[in-house]
Amino acid sequence: MALSKGAAEAAEIVRNYDGPKIRVMEVCGTHTHEIFRLGIRQMLPESIELISGPGCPVCVTPVGYIDEAVMLALEKGVKIFTFGDLIRVPGTKKSLADAHSEGAEVQIVYSPMDALDYAKAHPEEEVCFLSVGFETTTPGSVIALRNAISEKVENFSLLTANKIMEPAYLALKGSADAFLYPGHVSTMTGMEVYRKIAKEWQISGVVTGFTTSEIVTALATVVRRVEEVRAGERESFAENCYPSVVTEEGSPAARKLVDKYMEPCDTEWRGLGIIPGSGMKLRDEFSKYDARVRFQLPKVQGKASPACRCGEVLRGLIRPMDCKIYGNACTPEHPVGACMVSSEGACSAYYKYGDTLKLK
Amino acid sequence: MNDKITLAHGAGGKQTSELIGGLFKKYFDNPNLTADDAAVLTPPAGRMAMSTDGFIVSPAFFPGGNIGKLSICGTVNDLACMGAKPLYISCACVIEEGFPMDTLEEIVKSMAETAAKVGVQIVSGDTKVAGKGQVDGIFITTTGVGEIMPKAELSGAYARPGDAILVTGDVGRHGCTILLERDRYGMEAEVTSDCAPLWHPVRDLIQEIPEVHVIRDATRGGVGTVLYEIADESKVGIRLDAESVPVCDEVRGVTGMLGLEPLYLACEGRLVIFVPKEKAEDAVRILREASPDTTGAAIIGEVTDHMTGHVVMATELGTETLLPPPSGELLPRIC
Repeated sequence: MALSKGAAEAAEIVRNYDGPKIRVMEVCGTHTHEIFRLGIRQMLPESIELISGPGCPVCVTPVGYIDEAVMLALEKGVKIFTFGDLIRVPGTKKSLADAHSEGAEVQIVYSPMDALDYAKAHPEEEVCFLSVGFETTTPGSVIALRNAISEKVENFSLLTANKIMEPAYLALKGSADAFLYPGHVSTMTGMEVYRKIAKEWQISGVVTGFTTSEIVTALATVVRRVEEVRAGERESFAENCYPSVVTEEGSPAARKLVDKYMEPCDTEWRGLGIIPGSGMKLRDEFSKYDARVRFQLPKVQGKASPACRCGEVLRGLIRPMDCKIYGNACTPEHPVGACMVSSEGACSAYYKYGDTLKLK
Repeated sequence: MNDKITLAHGAGGKQTSELIGGLFKKYFDNPNLTADDAAVLTPPAGRMAMSTDGFIVSPAFFPGGNIGKLSICGTVNDLACMGAKPLYISCACVIEEGFPMDTLEEIVKSMAETAAKVGVQIVSGDTKVAGKGQVDGIFITTTGVGEIMPKAELSGAYARPGDAILVTGDVGRHGCTILLERDRYGMEAEVTSDCAPLWHPVRDLIQEIPEVHVIRDATRGGVGTVLYEIADESKVGIRLDAESVPVCDEVRGVTGMLGLEPLYLACEGRLVIFVPKEKAEDAVRILREASPDTTGAAIIGEVTDHMTGHVVMATELGTETLLPPPSGELLPRIC
């Protein structure tokens, strides 16, 4: 497959950039992996540094959340349904995979609706879906909840750890010259949020998709715009390099739906601590579907392994290989930190591709 | 006979004899299958290959085959990979109490048909019945011995820089079929397993091209795992031409949605073959003519002395990337 003329030109702009260093943070875990897989990182000049940010929902889920899920499964006899990656993330003492080997019921699903279907078919069991994720995945959980309510399914609940990205950009301001904004999240939020933070907080970034053409075009746009910012021609920028999918307004319908059932709350991000207003929790009127309320979970303060430096990796302060346990005590087969578990995690990406390709 | 398997069928008494006589012996019938404690066989003149494999696939029936067919194909293909003509197979079945007799009959019939197609005799067997819930339906273990073709010199350690790498058909169909059959994902697609015995194409290939270096069947870990195994065992690098790997549209669609790599989905009727580059085109032709199960044979890459132990792909940007090495993914029981 040959690149289109436009994409080939964009690739040349990126490849040949030799000005002052530009730091770009890719926020989305899928971008992190695709940038390796498509060979894009391999062509970057030293003057462009890509930092892998906190955009993998599994990676930013705090240890305490895993502890809560394990408690539900092992102590409360609840059948847990989850997206796959989460089951291997270490909790303070156990992962969900450990709980499963001790007899807990943990099942991987592709959609929250599968958990609801199971709950309907097994009214005698308590079913909980682990509702993690950003703007893209939250509507799925909410639709399952909406259907549970309308169909009077009484044995279904959500353990929420849903997050919204906008407060995270503010928390990460200054970590990079520009963000590569996540393509899928942007289909929900639209461009409005980026225009707003560009204007109000001088936070710059480009939305992009997942093909070689889309990503190199976005990187070339970053190069050009950062040069303009540095020349004093503009203060910030918010560009859409994924216009085939991402619109100005995003999906108001999805946002309205989420807003009906959920409200913002302060929430903990692994590595970033508590970011005010960055979480989504069920509104009080739906609290009987909230697993924390329903099963009276105590307040859990999880403890991550002290050796793990996922937090600094997620903030772009260190590279995965700067962590002492990376590749030794912490590997995809025996992950210590979440960034090594998830197939979208930065450590797992570096481990799979970076070492062999001798990438920095 | 009862319409269901009972514990009595495994107790060694009258019902056991009935089951063996009325079902297994009826279908497997051949001169070397006797009522004695062991089959008495004449050894082949040359080198011998022997292989054993257990099968626990769930569900036991899937589009394109069932656990019976799979249990013969698996062992036949393991032997074929060493260039061995499969001669004799033994089988041990562990059956769950309450298993339907007609389902068992269908499985046994499939085993017999597949064995007949290859020309291998099932000469010894064992049947055990496990209590309800102790096994999931039926587990089968087969062991086979074969006579290695005098010309064949095959091993996973024999790949050399300059070899071309072939696959005998489109990849990932068996794994995809099983995933869909388990209906965890609410998806439907017309995919059938590639499950097939491949002795005849191997025989034709080695007959004409004895210089073949490696043949390995891509089972659980798919073609990707085989490539990494061979890169490691032969201490070579592999350059994969990702776009030339045959993948059918249905598998591409399903794996795209689920974020799976077709190269890591199981196959049960696909071989990965390493042959000196100058013989590669001939090898493809021979395979395509040899059997309906290998008409999709294609060249997918080459062996290099670059980046030993790794599978490297060229990207659109002219850079190199890796096929991500295999890791323990959570997939259902597939073979």
